Amino acid sequence: MLNSQLFLKRYNSLHITPKINSFIQRLFSAEAEEKIEIPKRIHRGPTDILRALEATISRDPTAAHYKYHDDPYLIPMSNMGKRTFAMAQESGRKAAHWIRKEHADLFNHREADPVIKAFLPVVSFNEQSDITEDNLKQVIDDVLVSEAQLAYKLLKDKGVDISEETRQALLELLCYTNDTDILSEEFIEERWFRQTTKSKEKQRKIWKDNSLAEEIFISIENPTAETYSAMIQGMCKYFQVDKAWHLYEESQEKGLILTSDAYSSLLRVVNFLKESFEMKWALTEELLQKMNEAKVKPNLTTLNSALHSVSTMGGGKNQKDLALKVLKEFKGLGIEPSLGSWYYILITFCKERGPISTVLHDIMPEIENKEHHCLDLSDTYFFVTAMDICRSQLNDVELGRRVHKLLHFGNNYNLIGDSYKESIYYRHYFGLMMNNMPFEEFMQNIYNMLVPNIYVPEPGVMAEVLKQVDLNGSVEYVAQLWSDMIIFDHINRENLIESILNILDSNKPEAESNLIEVFSCIAWDLFKRLEDEGDNRFNKLRLTGDQLGKVMILLLWNKDFQKACLIFDKLDQEQHTIVGVPKIEALSMFIDSCIENKMPSRAIACLQYCSDSGFPEVEELGVKIHKSLTLDENNLAKLTKIAGNLS
Amino acid sequence: MNIIRKVTLEGVNTRSSITRTIHLYAPCCKNQAGRYRITPRKDLPLTYEMANPPHQIAHRKAWNSWNTSNIDGGIRPAQTAIEDVFIRKFVTGTWHNLFVSEVIIKRQHNIIRIAGIIRRGIGARKMYFLIGYTEELLSFWLQCPIKLELQTVADKRDVVFKYI
Repeated sequence: MLNSQLFLKRYNSLHITPKINSFIQRLFSAEAEEKIEIPKRIHRGPTDILRALEATISRDPTAAHYKYHDDPYLIPMSNMGKRTFAMAQESGRKAAHWIRKEHADLFNHREADPVIKAFLPVVSFNEQSDITEDNLKQVIDDVLVSEAQLAYKLLKDKGVDISEETRQALLELLCYTNDTDILSEEFIEERWFRQTTKSKEKQRKIWKDNSLAEEIFISIENPTAETYSAMIQGMCKYFQVDKAWHLYEESQEKGLILTSDAYSSLLRVVNFLKESFEMKWALTEELLQKMNEAKVKPNLTTLNSALHSVSTMGGGKNQKDLALKVLKEFKGLGIEPSLGSWYYILITFCKERGPISTVLHDIMPEIENKEHHCLDLSDTYFFVTAMDICRSQLNDVELGRRVHKLLHFGNNYNLIGDSYKESIYYRHYFGLMMNNMPFEEFMQNIYNMLVPNIYVPEPGVMAEVLKQVDLNGSVEYVAQLWSDMIIFDHINRENLIESILNILDSNKPEAESNLIEVFSCIAWDLFKRLEDEGDNRFNKLRLTGDQLGKVMILLLWNKDFQKACLIFDKLDQEQHTIVGVPKIEALSMFIDSCIENKMPSRAIACLQYCSDSGFPEVEELGVKIHKSLTLDENNLAKLTKIAGNLS
Repeated sequence: MNIIRKVTLEGVNTRSSITRTIHLYAPCCKNQAGRYRITPRKDLPLTYEMANPPHQIAHRKAWNSWNTSNIDGGIRPAQTAIEDVFIRKFVTGTWHNLFVSEVIIKRQHNIIRIAGIIRRGIGARKMYFLIGYTEELLSFWLQCPIKLELQTVADKRDVVFKYI
């Protein structure tokens, strides 16, 4: 605007014709009349700017995860390293927590303003402490189970009356945690690396009978619906199903209206309550009916619980129809399925020993290009299952890519679950891409991108990669893979060593290519590493005679006669401990290079070895040695002894 | 500096006068803090930081504590200084014999970042333990988030700038 005004002024001062002048003025005045609309204020939270900034950064595959220190010495390489480093740091944090607990009196200063509770020591009680109901409320809010139990006992000993509300809160806490301390949310690494025990193992009764929770429940004279709900939920969660059902019936007799979560937890354990498929489904229906009668509004948890039960119910074809029916029914109620619900659908439709189902194709449009939030515990199972199905059932790259894209959409990566699920997810993704992509493209776009910072292939996956190398004859990658294998600590796997040697041995490069040198370096490195490993190591891998022969061939291609001699010495000296013998090709090649290097005694030693191992070619080789080398009497005598009369 | 003042209190007995004396010898005017003396064998290792005397701060080297406590309107200058001393003592004691550089303390908003160079005297796993421990305990003590930013060197000779 300022510019244009200036421009106008200058224009006027030039005394140009008024016609043009007015035209220009009109041109600019029209612009001035334009109305400025001030946009409505958007309310921002205190962390919105940080979130916006964070959204501009995506995971950098060339760097280690940001929880690790950015220093060559401190960056983990193998799966083992990733786990131990993160856990060691957490363990250091726990040590600090322990010190704060032991010397709680020293950490009571108030530096921060306002006071930040997380930095202050955790409250602790003893018999002498002056305790009130407020203390109990506080520890319940902080989810400190053992402190809450202690506080409750102390209050009871003192004869203090506890209000109904607090008692209910305590009961809920105890039912939720099964009377045990739970791992604090602060220790994220332990949560991330904790092996989620297989669901089958977990499904046994772990509810603590006659615990404080039951004691409190009995002490409440007139249990309300909430009290019953808490108890039922706790018992169902920890598989004390019979008692839970008993309490449910009791509450129904009293005409109490339970919460929807209590109904959901009952729906989840339907499989434990009834035997056959028909009875299980009948019970499911009955419970849902009861909910309807009691006018309890179901929620997402109800849907997922019902689907969970249906997915594990058995019943063949019916099961699939029922799952869809349930889904439709809940959609009608306005309950949108979460990723967890889709996970249950997937496991209902795609059984390991069943016909291939393409249900994932139908699910994808529903969830694609959306940001998902964790609404249910089962949500974290979706991605790993979907990728598994993409690979082992459908073998569909395009679909796999879509799932992968969805995982990286927005903050969806949060739903990957834990380290275990993450590595299984990538195992499947890796396998899918490897089998369906040109190998070079796979190495460039997938392998180099993900390894080693995002995913470290397990030995099994590495074996598959090597198999692909063999199939495609892309031996140029072997050097890279070998150095990765060293870093990932795979060199003690017999099958991997075997296949590396096989690949190198069966793909002889052309004479001039530098691969010959590379091959011999790999072979020598492999031999050296396995040799240098201390004997005391448990399960030390020993190369077989055949493998040593292959190493020898690889070295001889590169004319590394000295190194080949060392291998032969090992073969010769440890004849009795080494399993198997090399192929005759390796040995005859060695004799050839002995001839080339004019080493008659070595050639004869090798011939002796051939003869000891019972190769029929001894005679032929003997003739060759005799012809090509000038032998002194001593050697000649030896040669005649091994190979018979040569003249 | 080089002035002798003799203050005689008026009205008091002139014989008992209060005197303030200042030494005038040239060696007394020498700055000594933050400087190192040449050893006879010339084998005292200095890091780059040590090799530059204090007047090189902001020219050839930077500050060891970064904060805004001492600028106009800055808060908690005294506490900050004391806390920095505490942090340095705690860190050098916890990472015993590992730090081969000064401990740099940077404060931004409510975060304190502690940087430095350590030698690889212990395994990476133990280092992670100490990182976790230091960060957590210091943040309990100072009640704000603490971050360690460490770089490792293979040998402590790697940080030697010169021998004097």
